[in-house]
Parts: sequence; structure tokens; C-alpha cells
Amino acid sequence: MKTQLSGPPSPSETFEPYETMRPIPLGVLMIAVALALWGVVLLFDNSEAVAIGQAERADVLADQPARSDADGASLFSARCATCHQPNGSGVSGAVPPLAGSPFLAGRAEVPIAILLRGIDGPIRVRDTVYDGHMPSFASVLSDEEIARLVSYLRERFADRPAPVAAEMVTALRGELAGGSGWKGGQELAARLAPELAPQPSFALASRAEADPATMRLVNEGTNGSWACASCHGALGQGSETVPRLAGLPAGYIARQLESYLNGSRRNESMAVVARSLTRQERVALGDYYALLRAPSNARPSLGGDIARGERLVLEGVWDRGIPPCVSCHGPSAFGVAPGFPGLAAQHPAYTASQLAAWVSGERDNAQQKLMNGIARSLDDADRRAVADYLATLPPVPVAATKERADDRR
Amino acid sequence: MIDDDRISAEAQDSPKQEGAGRAVRRGVIALGGGAALFVLVSMAFDLGWLRDRGEPVKNREAPQAMHTFFPPGEQAIPDGPAGDAIKRGQAIFMNTRMNAKDFVGNHLSCSNCHLDGGRKADSAPMWAAWVSYPAYRKKNKQINTMEDRIKGCFTYSMNAQNSPTGGAPPAGHDVYKDLQTYMHWLATGAPTGKKMLGAGYPELDKPAGGYDPARGKLVYDAKCAVCHGSDGQGQRDLNGRLVFPPLWGPDSYNWGAGMARVNTAAGFIKANMPLGQGNSLTDQQAWDAAAFIDSQERPRDPRQKGSIADNAKANHGGDSYYGKVVGGRQLGAGTK
Repeated sequence: MKTQLSGPPSPSETFEPYETMRPIPLGVLMIAVALALWGVVLLFDNSEAVAIGQAERADVLADQPARSDADGASLFSARCATCHQPNGSGVSGAVPPLAGSPFLAGRAEVPIAILLRGIDGPIRVRDTVYDGHMPSFASVLSDEEIARLVSYLRERFADRPAPVAAEMVTALRGELAGGSGWKGGQELAARLAPELAPQPSFALASRAEADPATMRLVNEGTNGSWACASCHGALGQGSETVPRLAGLPAGYIARQLESYLNGSRRNESMAVVARSLTRQERVALGDYYALLRAPSNARPSLGGDIARGERLVLEGVWDRGIPPCVSCHGPSAFGVAPGFPGLAAQHPAYTASQLAAWVSGERDNAQQKLMNGIARSLDDADRRAVADYLATLPPVPVAATKERADDRR
Repeated sequence: MIDDDRISAEAQDSPKQEGAGRAVRRGVIALGGGAALFVLVSMAFDLGWLRDRGEPVKNREAPQAMHTFFPPGEQAIPDGPAGDAIKRGQAIFMNTRMNAKDFVGNHLSCSNCHLDGGRKADSAPMWAAWVSYPAYRKKNKQINTMEDRIKGCFTYSMNAQNSPTGGAPPAGHDVYKDLQTYMHWLATGAPTGKKMLGAGYPELDKPAGGYDPARGKLVYDAKCAVCHGSDGQGQRDLNGRLVFPPLWGPDSYNWGAGMARVNTAAGFIKANMPLGQGNSLTDQQAWDAAAFIDSQERPRDPRQKGSIADNAKANHGGDSYYGKVVGGRQLGAGTK
């Protein structure tokens, strides 16, 4: 005890030991404050950039109607020349010539009617029969544009300088509304221009009507999964990020459904759908959508530079390893069955999202990975430009009957 | 004990009061210091002190943009008669069967082998060809003008013997004028007579173990068939328009074409195929695929006068399957 008392005073037995809090070093506080300030400035900066972006996008979209002020010559080079060629020569065995075509030389109603409804059958032009598949431009050109275009075509290729009035187009549009493509030259001649006869007779392609079971899949769904039409629309026209299916090659559609099954294309909703389908059902759905003809409901919506998109699609950027889209997806981007889907009239949000998915690996089912490298070579502005341009194209005409059954996988 | 407690309570109290004052002071210093730090760092950024000083990010165009010559783009075609001729030449180049139909006997266009409208380096670009002629050619053992050279293209690559007129355009024909005007325009600014980087097709060293059509078929099925079709006849769109060119058979180039030589085809394939994936095949794969494609029957060699064997001796040295027996059949008889 004694020794204890003589030592340092013993701590109170009720005393709880404590440590005074070591203050946070001033430097750390300063850095925290600086970071907070930085955050605030960034937020502010960013909000400004977002606002500028939105304003620019609105500007671009507002400018686009200006494109529809295009004269007949530019409409021709943008809308007709990829198939009918810049000199109107057409393509041997595939696309009829415009130069010297009797369909331009007669009544102006004839070319207008063709533009409004497209062609889905054989047509005789200057003694040559073409198995015609021309898209309808009703959903992508206004009455004024069609009038300007037809005036230009008739003056340049048929020596008929009298301009066509937009009212004529409006009247015909009302009259022909809702019709599908002309069943070849025969129906055109019978309805509008008897002097163009004789035209080859139209043999209805052996189109197998979709069986009731397939229609049930489309409209009601099955095995607990959704109806196709609930997202892709009654005509398979799609919207926003849901793709247009109408007119895509049958084999391509079936292959996509397989890709959702094996994971080479990732999408939760479609994986559920694909798991509920048998192989036969996948093939039947492909056949069904390949034969659908739906007007375009796609419009440029990403603020992409349409002219840049047009260059990328038609000419490519070879220095960057980007061939023109049309070199594989076909002139006019109608697709080449069964491997290469049509791109025309596809929804821009969908197109751009797929180009991004090839980069991220969400989608990895391109044949020979052809799309992977190309998508990587496109930057964000390129993707938006391409997607927006493709949305301005007329939809794919129906021709899936040409697809050989053994091409379907 | 009691004292101790009081003292310790006091000792605890006083730092607390003192601490409050200090905390305020520290807060002010931290705020001020933080603001100063922020201003300093942002100034540093503005002045470029903290920017990345590493190697500049490599341009992703770089690997393929090594070629120093860039031909003019479509939008640079001038107006007027010269521009019209350029456009006509371009139309022939892109859509030969339609715009020079009297002289084309197959389903090919110039642009099938001279990619990007004759612009692409390493696919025998026209800007490099333009500055290389007139030149002596071993193929016909004489000086060839550009017109002579183009005539050769029609004779062999476009198989003119099967065309409506049965031959290439006659000397001085507009087809030559328009094509040459187009080529001359593509070569705007190119140095005459200088061997240009990216001219012709690359020359590949022959693989040590040679090449083999059987191996080539495997490459073809894996890498080429998706576009050119497993039968090599290309593919058409819904209007019947050829999108991918036929590689052999009656609608392709004939036995006299440069592309019918395995080495030429191998160079083209290596640099350009599959489209968008140039230089992705190994040299061996390119040679084997070329051997497979060029060991298929195609339209006859228009130079053949006597037997295939005679013509083989006269015109087909080197890497050609002409006259050779493949699969029990002598090649060179021609199609149709």
C-alpha cells in the first residue's frame, strides 16, 4: 500500500479512460472542400452542356423540314438514284430505266401513283420485263415533294416540262390511300394507263397464309409470354427501341430468336419470348414478318447529321475500315436474304442501340463478327447520323417469297 | 476521490469550450483553404500544367490511313463538260454492265475489284494506275497506253467476248474517254511516274508450304460464303440486283484476267476481304482461298487459238490453274 501511495496518484476507479478526438488534418478538410466545390461547378457546367445539347438537337430537328424544301434534282439524287442510277439508266435485269420510260411520258398520275404505292410485281419497260419491287414513298415524302420530284423526272427523262401540281398528288393520295403496292404493270395499266398495255400478268407468289397458330403467337402470345404485336405493333412496324420487323428476311428473324436463346444477343424480354417458342414457331414467325408490308413510322429523332449519315451509308469511310452499309445490306438498304437484314425505315433509337450493343458485346451474333469492327469504328455522332438517315428511307417492299426455303435456319 | 472527480470534470469541460472556438476557426481555414486549392488547381488546368503529357491519343484511322494520297471525294466533281464526263466515267465504273453494256459479258463492275470507286489503296486504285501509264506490259509485250490497259480489262475481267458486240470497245470509243476522265480526276495531285504507296494489290510472299485449294475451301466456307454464296455465284437483292459479285462460273471474270492468277487474287483478298476486315486473314489463308476460287471453271481465255495446253504454255506461267487437272478435270475449257 505504501509504495502505492508514494507513487503517482492512482486513477479514480470510476474514471473511464477516453481519448480526445484527434482533429481531422486541415489539409484533408481543404481537399474535401475543394472537391465539393468542384462537384458543384461540374454539375452546373454539365447542366449547361445538357441544355446546349438539347437546344442544338431542337435546332437540328427544326432544320430538317428545310431538307424537304429540296428541289426535284436533289430529291432525285437522294431518293431514286441509288436504284435507278444517277443517269436514270436503271440496272440491267433488276431496276427499270427512267430515261425513255413510257411510265413517265404519259399521264403524270402514273408516276405519282407509283411513288405513292410502290410496285410489287412484274412490269414491262421498253420491251424488258422487270420483277419489280419498289418501295412506297407515301410515308416518307410530302405531296409537295412528290410533285417536285415527278415534275423533275418528267422534264429530265421524258421531255415533259409542264410542272405537276401538289394538289394532284393530294387528290391521288386520298384516292389510293391504304392500298398495298401495285401488282405489277398490269394493275397500273388497267387502273391508270391502258396505253401501257400489254403488261406481264401478275402471278400471285405462292404466299403461304400464316396459319392460325402463328397468328395466335403474334396477337395473343403463348406459354406465358407476350404477343409479338404488343410491342412490335399490329403491322410489325415497331417504335423507338423496338425494331420494325416487317419485311426483314425470314431467316434473319429466326436466327435472332435463336440468338436470344443462346445468349449471343442479350435482351431480357426477348429471351423470355424466345424460350417460349419452338423451332418451328421461330421459323413461322420469320416467314410471317418477312411478308408484311407496313408504311414507315420511323422518323429521325437522334439529332444526327443526315448528310453525314447518307455518306456513311452510301459511300462508307474506307480509311477507317467502314464499308458503305449498302455494300452488304443492299442498295437502298432493303437487305439481302437471308443473312443481311434490311435497314431502311428502321427506328433510329433501335439502330443506334444495336450499333452500341456490338461495341459493348451485348450483341455478338453478327455473321463472322462483320458488324463488330464496323460498329467500333463509328463514333457516337456517326451512329446517330446513320440511324437517322436510315429512318428517312422508304420501307422495304415485300419480296420474301424469293427467299429459298433452305436458306432459313 | 471526490476532488479527483471534480478536477477531471473541469478538465473535460474546458477543452470542450475551447474546442468549439477552435472548430470554428478550423472550419474557416478549411473553407478558405479549400476554395484557394480549388482555384489553384483549376488555374493549373487552365494553364495546361496538369494536362496529359503522354503520347497523343493515336488516331484510330492511323493504321489504314498510312497512304499519303487522298483522291478527291464525290462532292468535288466540277460542273461543266469535264464534270459531266467524270460523272459518266464514274457511272461506267460503278455499274459497268448497264453503262457499257455493249462490251460487258458478265455480271461484274470495275468497282467490284477496285473498291470505293477506284479510290481504295491496296485495291489497285485508279489514282495510282493513272500515273503509271503508258507502260510496257509483259502480258502483251508492248507499250500500253491507258486506253490499251482498259481494253484489257474489258477483254478479260469483263469477259467482253460474251458481250452483245463480242469484244472490247473499239479504239477511241467514248467509254475509254469517260473512264479516263474519271481516272484522271481521281489522280488529281498525284505524282506522275512515281510508284505510289498503295498502288496495285499487295504482293504476298508465297507460303513455304505452297497453297492448297482443299484448304482454301475451308477458308472460303468460313469467311467468304456468307456474302459470295457457297456456290460462288454471289447474292442478289429482292429486285434481282447483284449485291455480291460472282467469283467463278459464267458471270465472273475469264481465264485471261489478272484476278485468275492465284498470286493476284491472294493479294487482293489479303488486303481487302472480308469486306471491312481487310488484313484479318493470314497470308496462308489468303493464298489458299485464292487457290480455291481460281481453281474453279470460268469463261474461256479469249487468247486461246489452239489447244488449252498450247495456250497454257503461251500465256499461263506462274500461279495459274489454267490447263491443270483439278478433281479429274482439265481447267480452261470455259463455261457455257
